[in-house]
Amino acid sequence: MQRSAFLFAVAAMAAPGCNRDGPAAGPARPRVALVVKTLNSPFFIDMQKGAQEAAGRLQVDLVVQAAEREIDVERQMQIVENLVQTGVKALAIAPSGSREIVPALVKASAAGVPVIVVDTQVDAAAAAEAGLKLATFIGSDNYEGGRLAGRHLVEVTGGKARVGILEGIPGHETGDSRLRGFRDALKDAPGVAVVASQTANWERDQGYSVFQNMLQAHRDLDAVFACNDMMALGAVEAIAAAGRTGQVRVFGFDAVDDARKAIEAGSMVASVAQFPSEMGRVAVESAVRILKGENVPEDQRVRIELVGKGAAR
Amino acid sequence: MSRVGRALAGGRELGSLAGLAGLCGLLFALTPHFLTVPNLLNVLEQTSINAVIAVGMTFVILSGGIDLSVGSIVALSGVALAEALQAGWPPLAAVLAGAGVGALAGLLNGLLITRGRLPPFIATLGMMSVARGLALLVTDGRPVSGFDAGFRSLATARVLLVPAPALVTAVVCLAAQFVLARTRFGRYVYAIGGNEEAARLSGVAVRFHKTAVYVLSGLASALAATILTARLNSAQPIAGIMYELDAIAAAVIGGTSLKGGSGTVAGTLIGALIMGVLRNGLNLLGISSFLQQVVIGLVIIGAVLLDALLKSPDER
Repeated sequence: MQRSAFLFAVAAMAAPGCNRDGPAAGPARPRVALVVKTLNSPFFIDMQKGAQEAAGRLQVDLVVQAAEREIDVERQMQIVENLVQTGVKALAIAPSGSREIVPALVKASAAGVPVIVVDTQVDAAAAAEAGLKLATFIGSDNYEGGRLAGRHLVEVTGGKARVGILEGIPGHETGDSRLRGFRDALKDAPGVAVVASQTANWERDQGYSVFQNMLQAHRDLDAVFACNDMMALGAVEAIAAAGRTGQVRVFGFDAVDDARKAIEAGSMVASVAQFPSEMGRVAVESAVRILKGENVPEDQRVRIELVGKGAAR
Repeated sequence: MSRVGRALAGGRELGSLAGLAGLCGLLFALTPHFLTVPNLLNVLEQTSINAVIAVGMTFVILSGGIDLSVGSIVALSGVALAEALQAGWPPLAAVLAGAGVGALAGLLNGLLITRGRLPPFIATLGMMSVARGLALLVTDGRPVSGFDAGFRSLATARVLLVPAPALVTAVVCLAAQFVLARTRFGRYVYAIGGNEEAARLSGVAVRFHKTAVYVLSGLASALAATILTARLNSAQPIAGIMYELDAIAAAVIGGTSLKGGSGTVAGTLIGALIMGVLRNGLNLLGISSFLQQVVIGLVIIGAVLLDALLKSPDER
């Protein structure tokens, strides 16, 4: 009995957090869900902000949720199942797994909830096999971003360099596309050789240790391309620890604040900027248009740009 | 000693059950979406993976041990199962292959602990890393996905509305409850956890039983991996990270003592349901995942704190 009293106390304490959901939301505001991969990365926080601004403007009751851990697809599936129960009218989602999320989206779709995919593509073959129809995709052209970084590397190094790559988690469409774009850009530059390519699982600390090992194995590395800035910043620190700042050029992806600072300070050369807040905005706008019965394009690419010294703000 | 422990555990179950009922009542009052048949069935399905692992974990904790490798075993046996399916094995054979991998990993844990005299924490910490690494090596870090509908029905099938994973969980719980409460094996597990030396002196085959609980835990992880793989239509080498902590939390919330010798499967199931209902309810209410973690942490601490307060001073 005492334990139940305790649980009441806990839940009562948690209850004020739910006021967004309460009856105060007014009569005919459609409820739209945005499920992201995590809410502890600046990227998805920006996306949330963009979505919230659009929701305020368009009179949408927006719920934003994410799993505790970015890679926990099973938990993301649970969130989708639970949100469908609350009667959301549209679901925008940044999938934690391109294939694993398909069964969850099939459930949403079967409940009549249109699915808007943001940032990370759903695997086309898996979706087709499950008979899943997606309303639209909104995201950066990661392949093009990788190419931008690759072309810039060729330019900056004068077409002669030995390059290391820090990959994201294998099987993630985002990282794979960036990598393909980057490698394709190097095809026209015979003097640029990729001598090592390993995953650092998107993480800063792993970026540090993996690149430290790479530097040990290949003392003649001139440049590194990391598929996100977290790993790039790890590499920056590994280079500093080896006393080789300025000798190894670092290229990242995402143009997060720390990376922009590193670019201004000269410890990074460039990063590719995405615009997650625009993705959030377009996701909510698309949801509203779909609910009105309007057509939205199948594929909506958000702008992407290279950020180098001087251009970084 | 163990009889006293079990008697006490009965009282604790009632406490946990009251907690679960109170939580459900509160959510019912806060949101109209909680107490609906589809939502409650979702909760059962969502709880199944943690519940199955936690039942295996309960055997280990009752014997006085701990198994940190369950999450990694979920990944490894899931990957083994998925690779077997993709190689064209019939679903049953593939599931058995996954179970074999889980049991083997558990057996190694058990042997390292009983023959190698490693503390359970260390042996299973090592296995946690080995199994995870093997899962990544086998798959090259990529998920293995795309299975036929026959296998997937393990997650998608409904029997009289009830999702198959929930039924599997019910069968596992009933079987485990029977083994622990009604068989000599179960009594010996309690006895070893209560006082290993006394159990050994009374002629209990301590090493055999201690090894067996890790095999059971490995099997439970493999079964959870089967549900997970069918649910996501995919096996990921990075699946199951931190599942060990969820399983330990379920057992502990359900009144199982980490010192061994006291606790029940029913308690663990209630513990898993409390966690599942909490996560579900906080989703329905639109509460952030950050606060969810705080609440679940507080529930774990509160449950154990209450247990300690309810005990007589000489038992602490």
